[in-house]
Amino acid sequence: MAAPGLRAQMDSLLLQLLRDLEELEAKRAALNARVEEGWFSLSKARYAMGAKSVGPLQYASRMEPQVCVYTSEAQDGLQKVWVVRASAQTPEEVGPCEAALRRRKGLSRTPEPESSPAPRDPLNWFGILVPHSLRHAQASFREGLQLAADMASLQIRIDWGRSQLGGLQEKLKQLEPQSA
Amino acid sequence: MLEGAEFYFNVDHGYLEGLVRGCKASLLTQQDYINLVQCETLEDVKIHLQTTDYGNFLANETNPLTVSKIDMEMRKKLCREFEYFRNHSLEPLSTFFTYMTCSYMIDNVILLMNGALQKKSVKEILAKCHPLGRFTEMEAVNIAETPSDLFNAVLVETPLAPFFQDCMSENTLDELNIELLRNKLYKSYLEAFYKFCKNHGDVTAEIMCPILEFEADRRAFIITLNSFGTELSKDDRETLYPTCGKLYPEGLRLLAQAEDFDQMRRVAEHYGVYKPLFEAVGDGSGGKTLEDVFYEHEVQMNVLAFNRQFHYGVFYAYTKLKEQEMRNIVWIAECISQRHRTKINSYIPI
Repeated sequence: MAAPGLRAQMDSLLLQLLRDLEELEAKRAALNARVEEGWFSLSKARYAMGAKSVGPLQYASRMEPQVCVYTSEAQDGLQKVWVVRASAQTPEEVGPCEAALRRRKGLSRTPEPESSPAPRDPLNWFGILVPHSLRHAQASFREGLQLAADMASLQIRIDWGRSQLGGLQEKLKQLEPQSA
Repeated sequence: MLEGAEFYFNVDHGYLEGLVRGCKASLLTQQDYINLVQCETLEDVKIHLQTTDYGNFLANETNPLTVSKIDMEMRKKLCREFEYFRNHSLEPLSTFFTYMTCSYMIDNVILLMNGALQKKSVKEILAKCHPLGRFTEMEAVNIAETPSDLFNAVLVETPLAPFFQDCMSENTLDELNIELLRNKLYKSYLEAFYKFCKNHGDVTAEIMCPILEFEADRRAFIITLNSFGTELSKDDRETLYPTCGKLYPEGLRLLAQAEDFDQMRRVAEHYGVYKPLFEAVGDGSGGKTLEDVFYEHEVQMNVLAFNRQFHYGVFYAYTKLKEQEMRNIVWIAECISQRHRTKINSYIPI
């Protein structure tokens, strides 16, 4: 009878789903804490540097990304999301979101040293001598980025898990009346 | 020679000194700050500020009220008072006021140049410039490519002209050089202001010179602290230190060689004034930062300036105290709007 096997499968799937949900909640709390910390450090920087020195005047309206989001298919068919720093790549791995970022000197197979100027650190928008609270803010936001990518992957897994669970429940319902 | 400030001062400046002392009496008190800290929203902050000397300064603001609007309105109010003092002043007080506005002018020039680098529109930045630092050639600042262009084309008529002596190089203006330019201009300005006060002599020199010495040393410390881990070389760093403070010359030389906070602290321990300040700095994210400690010390010195009469320092002290009050209110407002009340009491009461 396939029902016990199905039930066992459903149980393990449910457990996995609950574990993922717990991890998601923990990551969400951590992300909120990082973002709050980041904004608070920005306020501290404003206190030290003057309110006009840390604000929308300091950055250009068009900026190049330092960090890009990538997706890929893992072996169980699920998409995984992660963030990659733009400067850490070799020229062959350029993804679709970086059209403007690198100037490739031909598609060589050997990894070249960086052929284009590295993207400017956003910290330097506010001057060279920035207070430490601004650096803390940058660090907090960077950690938050990684967490956000993990959360996106988890969310995809949870959605997939729920749809699987729904499918198994349907199958079970079909089996039950037959065996009755 | 009779040190006769008390004989001559009131003839030219007595009215303004009386006025500034009246303004000083209307600064926010500890009770006002306690009330502000207990506010839940920015609207409550606005209501509480109405009961103080600020009055209805936010009355014309449309919703939603933001921290930067509060900051801008407070700044406009300070500017109105300052302009009143300035318009009614006679020499040499007028020159003193001009010196005071130079620091804001330097900030505005740097803001405009940064904006040009980021390709922002001039109007946008002009709206955000500090009102005390306005000068007529402001709109033309963004066309300059090098410091000598900037000087010859734009700033030669302004009070900032004499401060450009050390900054004339052919480097193009990118971020590193703009920062260097800012610090060098400020250094020249501070040294010129110090010389002016010292030459004036009398009570003004007795009050202003220690304040300006502290400002110079504070800048040296903060530049050193912020330059750890950046691409600024030690020699470059040394050229940015103002030389009119207590740290000159040995302290500045030692400071230029410092590579971390502890070495900086050891330099400060040689000086009786700075040793207790560095001891008050908490470590990590818990206690006070160095900037907080310096702000507190500055507030103390400015409050003490009001204990003597017949000098120009009261005007400088009042402006700086008012700025600290604005920083306090903005800090409290930000803590309230971000709902992060743990450090809301880190303001510095006056």
